[in-house]
Amino acid sequence: MSIPQNLRYTKEHEWARIEDSVATSGLSDHAQEALGDVVFVELPEVGAQVKAGAPFAVVESVKAVSDIYAPVSGEVLAVNEALEEHPELVNSDCYGQGWIARIRIEGDTVELLDPVAYATFLEE
Amino acid sequence: MSENPLTESTLLHTPLFDRHVALGGKIVPFAGYAMPVQYPTGALKEYHATRNDGCAGLFDISHMGQVRVQGADALRFLQFVTTNDVARLIDGQVQYSALLNRAGTFIDDITTYRIHADHYYLCINAANRAKDVAHLTEQAADFDIFITDESDGTTLLALQGEAAERLLQALTPTDLTAIDYYHFVQCPLSNANTTAIISRTGYTGEDGFELYLANGAATTVWDALLEAGASPIGLAARDLLRAEMGYALYGHEISDAVTPVEAKLMWITNMNKGNFIGRSAVVTRKSSGREKALIALKLTARGIPRQHYPVLVDGQLSGEITSGLYSPLTKGGVALAYVAPNHANDGAITVEIRGKQVAAERTTTPFVRSRVKKPQQ
Repeated sequence: MSIPQNLRYTKEHEWARIEDSVATSGLSDHAQEALGDVVFVELPEVGAQVKAGAPFAVVESVKAVSDIYAPVSGEVLAVNEALEEHPELVNSDCYGQGWIARIRIEGDTVELLDPVAYATFLEE
Repeated sequence: MSENPLTESTLLHTPLFDRHVALGGKIVPFAGYAMPVQYPTGALKEYHATRNDGCAGLFDISHMGQVRVQGADALRFLQFVTTNDVARLIDGQVQYSALLNRAGTFIDDITTYRIHADHYYLCINAANRAKDVAHLTEQAADFDIFITDESDGTTLLALQGEAAERLLQALTPTDLTAIDYYHFVQCPLSNANTTAIISRTGYTGEDGFELYLANGAATTVWDALLEAGASPIGLAARDLLRAEMGYALYGHEISDAVTPVEAKLMWITNMNKGNFIGRSAVVTRKSSGREKALIALKLTARGIPRQHYPVLVDGQLSGEITSGLYSPLTKGGVALAYVAPNHANDGAITVEIRGKQVAAERTTTPFVRSRVKKPQQ
């Protein structure tokens, strides 16, 4: 199970990389493994306002439909359009080419765990 | 993302449960059993390990039930309780069929194996087993037959894919090429010191076989087929393979809310063989017209249709999806759906996915090519 040191994590198994008030977000390795093969990703609209802790994207595996929750509140600056043609990137490179969206942080965030706390949370 | 915790406390195990765990299978509850939904390679790879040339997938489907019907009245009994014409079967032949109630709706869909003129073997759905056996036992009172529920002692494997015949042939001296589609033999399996029923049947649209074994032979045969090169396949890939062929599944296209008229299963319902349970209700339904129409559709925009999603025709709610999937071969969303009868052929279709209307068009099943070995007509 990969938990990169430079990221923060939500209890819903999203990751966030925060740089200059912008959060890049995707699904954690634990999440993609639990989901299984991702065959469809519904991305938010660029420019949309998202709310921390509220669903802002959807991933579908072969069997299941799962909401992805925004780790922060703010405006969607960019989405990973490559996922429309290649949703499997969420499985093969969840922290890299499988990123989902970039959000300008405006206001609150959900509780973000550091890698050690997230690892502990997964063990619980 | 959100996850649903699963409980395994009261679930039954097939004789291969420890094998599934050892292979790293993700175990889920299914029809009262703890079954592998997928192995570590994942459902899509398992799917391709069944569809691709040179491959064969191995499925543990021992949760399904088996009922033996024997006695002087066996044919007359099965003509009365099943929809298809059992008199057409010869020894060693299999028939897709159904059990109806008096309302003409489905108790179950089944396969009927004729072993001898007075000896048959039925394969039934796991979730319907108790209901089926109670129904058959109740109906048997007026017939000179006896019914044995052999489900608990029987392991059922499916070996499906282009390489199935080659892999299985190494395990038996019986010439498998001589078994036609929907026929079977009872033959020895050399490595397991056992006799099995081997039928050229399946639920994937690929060539292949289903093997009915005594539980004691389960692990030996399972191991031998994996050793020979078959890939273990879980429930998720099994359902993809099934739905991509447009095959009906109880609880989806078939249920006690529809008759064969709605489910497009009049081809297994023989109205000329004499009376059977549900026949008069089917006659009535045929003359009054189907209550809804089963159609096949494919999305023309991105999205995956799922069971129970609303289907709209010309903007009006018309019905719902019964089975839907992302089809790996067509690389798009395909589905079966019930719609209003007047929408069977006409009107613009959309599927409502999370509140949005996604365009779709009617198509035919199977959604992809079938490679079952039907004899030349």
